[in-house]
Amino acid sequence: MLSASKLPRWLVPPALRVGALLLLGALPAAAQQDPLIKLDPRSRMAIDQMMDTLRQLGLSDARLRSTALQGIRMGVDNGKIVATVSRKFANLKTAFSILGAVGDNELDAAAAVLEAGAKPSQLGAFKTRQKGRTDLDAFTVWADLINRGVPSEETSTAISKLWQEGADEATFRRLWNDVQADISQGQNPGAALQARIREAPGRPAQKPPTTPEGEVENQRSR
Amino acid sequence: MTDSELHPYVELIAREARRPVVSDPAARARVMAAVRAEPIPTRLPVWLRAFQPRAISLSPAVGGLLAAGLVGIGVAVGSFALDRGGHLAGQATVAERPPVSPKVSDTVFVIVAPQAAKVSLVGDFNDWDASKLPLVRVPNSGLWKVAVPLPAGRHLYQFVVDGNWVADPGAPVAGDNGFGRPNSVRIVRTGSAL
Repeated sequence: MLSASKLPRWLVPPALRVGALLLLGALPAAAQQDPLIKLDPRSRMAIDQMMDTLRQLGLSDARLRSTALQGIRMGVDNGKIVATVSRKFANLKTAFSILGAVGDNELDAAAAVLEAGAKPSQLGAFKTRQKGRTDLDAFTVWADLINRGVPSEETSTAISKLWQEGADEATFRRLWNDVQADISQGQNPGAALQARIREAPGRPAQKPPTTPEGEVENQRSR
Repeated sequence: MTDSELHPYVELIAREARRPVVSDPAARARVMAAVRAEPIPTRLPVWLRAFQPRAISLSPAVGGLLAAGLVGIGVAVGSFALDRGGHLAGQATVAERPPVSPKVSDTVFVIVAPQAAKVSLVGDFNDWDASKLPLVRVPNSGLWKVAVPLPAGRHLYQFVVDGNWVADPGAPVAGDNGFGRPNSVRIVRTGSAL
């Protein structure tokens, strides 16, 4: 029979120290592994459920995780983090239901367009695409211009028209450069877009279906 | 009460009990011979005795600390076995398949902040951790820059200038991130970025 009272006295303090050190050492290691542990259990559970749902749909949960992490790093309260992640979650699901199985990057960009204020139906023009063509730039410029004050309807019409005409990535980038430069010089955002959209050359819709070097369509990068 | 008043059966028992006992002189020799005939029990080696069942009792304090230690070991092992996304290390979900051909290229981030004492880059590529990617001031200018190897794709980021989160004035914004400040967008390809 081994009892504590029969343990050698010299053995008790080291045993206590080892137990305490193991416990105290393991907890920070776990926290370092997963920064989301800083959320309260209820918020963490809500976000985990949304991430699980995305995974069940075959989608990446990286954007939701990143949004929650950003909120934690910025010191935002847990309720606001959950609300923001919920909105992102809803927009990702909506974009997925419209666009179907596109890459995570494009889905993120499409969700950002919805967040900026575009209507889900306006994403419909991007449902069909040619092989090797990416709509990342179109979505990025679209969301940015709405955020800079260009009316949502005008932006949606202009971007959809350019896309359907076969505009390439460089065209969208040039459009963004020109419009944001005009806006920063004091022009009315809507007028700036209308002026520049007339100059933007479209491309024939029957573009050869080749994948250019560096194409990122359908890439699951995270 | 006298003996004569006892019941005959009791008297019989008492008489038997009073009879002197005569032991067999050879009995002691027989008992000792039987003991010597028994095999002598051998002492088990230490390693075998460790597997013999025995009861152990501990005080609540020592028992609690040992249990805490075991829990600590479990948490440590679990945290190493699981990756940051909560999945077993090396186990990719359908949505987290590695890219077919990850193209990583150095992407340069620049911001003009002449009065700043410290500038860093935060984004979805570094878990928004301001301590991971500090920008370096270009000598004799208000320019700060850093080159970051990024895979092709769409990346959200901001600069942290002296503790304040700011969007990149030279990049498109992704809109309100819900936290009051818009994120900037960088689309990385091989050799070019929006």
